[in-house]
Amino acid sequence: MPYGPGPVTAQRQDLRRSPLHARHEALGATFAPFGGWEMPVQYSGTVAEHTATREAVGLFDVSHLGKVRITGPGAAGFVDRCLTNDLGRIVPGKAQYTLCCAEDGGVVDDLILYLVGDDEVFAVPNAANSAGVGRQLAAVAPEGITVTDEHDAHVVLAVQGPSSRTVLAETGVLPDTGDVDLDYMAFVDSTWEDREIRVCRTGYTGEHGYELIAPAEVAGTLWDALAAVVAEQGGLPAGLGARDTLRTEAGLPLHGQDLGPEITPVQARVGFAVGWKKEEFWGREALLAERERGPRRRAWGLKASGRGVPRAHMTVKLGETPVGETTSGTFSPTLRTGIALALLDTAAGLSEGDLVSVDIRGRALECEVVAPPFVASHVR
Amino acid sequence: MVPEGLQYTAEHEWIASAGDEDTVRVGITDFAQEQLGDVVFVQLPTVGDTVSSGDSIAEVESTKSVSEIYAPLAGEITAVNSDLGDTPEQVNSDPYGSGWMFELRLSDAGERSELLDAEAYQAVVDGA
Repeated sequence: MPYGPGPVTAQRQDLRRSPLHARHEALGATFAPFGGWEMPVQYSGTVAEHTATREAVGLFDVSHLGKVRITGPGAAGFVDRCLTNDLGRIVPGKAQYTLCCAEDGGVVDDLILYLVGDDEVFAVPNAANSAGVGRQLAAVAPEGITVTDEHDAHVVLAVQGPSSRTVLAETGVLPDTGDVDLDYMAFVDSTWEDREIRVCRTGYTGEHGYELIAPAEVAGTLWDALAAVVAEQGGLPAGLGARDTLRTEAGLPLHGQDLGPEITPVQARVGFAVGWKKEEFWGREALLAERERGPRRRAWGLKASGRGVPRAHMTVKLGETPVGETTSGTFSPTLRTGIALALLDTAAGLSEGDLVSVDIRGRALECEVVAPPFVASHVR
Repeated sequence: MVPEGLQYTAEHEWIASAGDEDTVRVGITDFAQEQLGDVVFVQLPTVGDTVSSGDSIAEVESTKSVSEIYAPLAGEITAVNSDLGDTPEQVNSDPYGSGWMFELRLSDAGERSELLDAEAYQAVVDGA
């Protein structure tokens, strides 16, 4: 049997590690390389961690995510001329999902921007693409605007699930403000051990949740405090395995699978992250042209009606005719069935409710075409 | 610890005598289930199938990956654990018991001498 994560071997020694690595080891985590980092895949088990996040709360170390600070006069305007989404849609104190596209419309990365003010933006790209996005911005940054890679300076901890707010209130990370919660996609700066931490109502699970960006020096005590209350609330530390099943159920794309240099935002249905009326952003002409003529393929969800687990890069068929390919696939612990995200040829004319099959190593798994999310979103 | 009294393959399967001399029960080891993570689906062979040693005859899907299960010896499938259809997690919780996968009537019971004993399999695990 081919195996996934195994013991640490010589070839893994060049992988970067979270400042919390020893804590994950103590919790019995298994690790895997992800985007150049060696991160926890699971602690007690992916299904248990997934269910804990949906029903109570999950605590994730996602410090592999990139951190890039862009500062200087007009920093926000500069970023807005490069990335797809329209920063004019949000105000300081809010975050926005956006894309870094190539001139051909392919997606170099998807990222979250935290708008601090006209002169400061904090970006969180994917681990593997962080340096590239930073370099690309730095290469065209006008005089006076500085792009700083802060990848190792901060940890990112995600507290996700219906009890997430209780966890933040009881640890004192976010003062309990009665009925008033942070708005979805809003952030505030708080303190932990006299150090500034950023508390954001963001996440990648489809649950009500928060992501904390904290200095690496206080990561240990912050993790310990959060983990203690998470346990009291019936939650669990959760790894990248659960993060992947949660985000797939929520229909959220993963760069490198559902988005990438060959998959445009128009095809992936993330056109909401494009400021179509903006005069300038990378990839504008190609994307406008594709939107005008209509994409040759579009993203859909597939829900298995038989037993089996679709994975990425499997052929989707209508009868015997190939009509597309899965981009992500997994077992949904909530629905207890296989689910996939797929790019289906527009020419096939498929829509919600149609039946297709996924070719699983020669066996046809019948699936229904659905519009994600697979599980109702609770982010708001 | 690897249970004594069973036989093993380097592909992390266990083989136990089942009823008569010529019939064996097959499953995956505790080490294997731990490496796989949560098992969510098991595709089993069909009773009556004739298999050769090394044939890929079953699949175990976990939340993160799929692994093939090979016929450890040649023979005919005489039973499969259909309980795994509804409760595949038994492969994780009881890999040597209720998580068994299939039974095989051997074409040549003498071939069992080629399998690993517990000590030899432990060495495989230690070297993994």
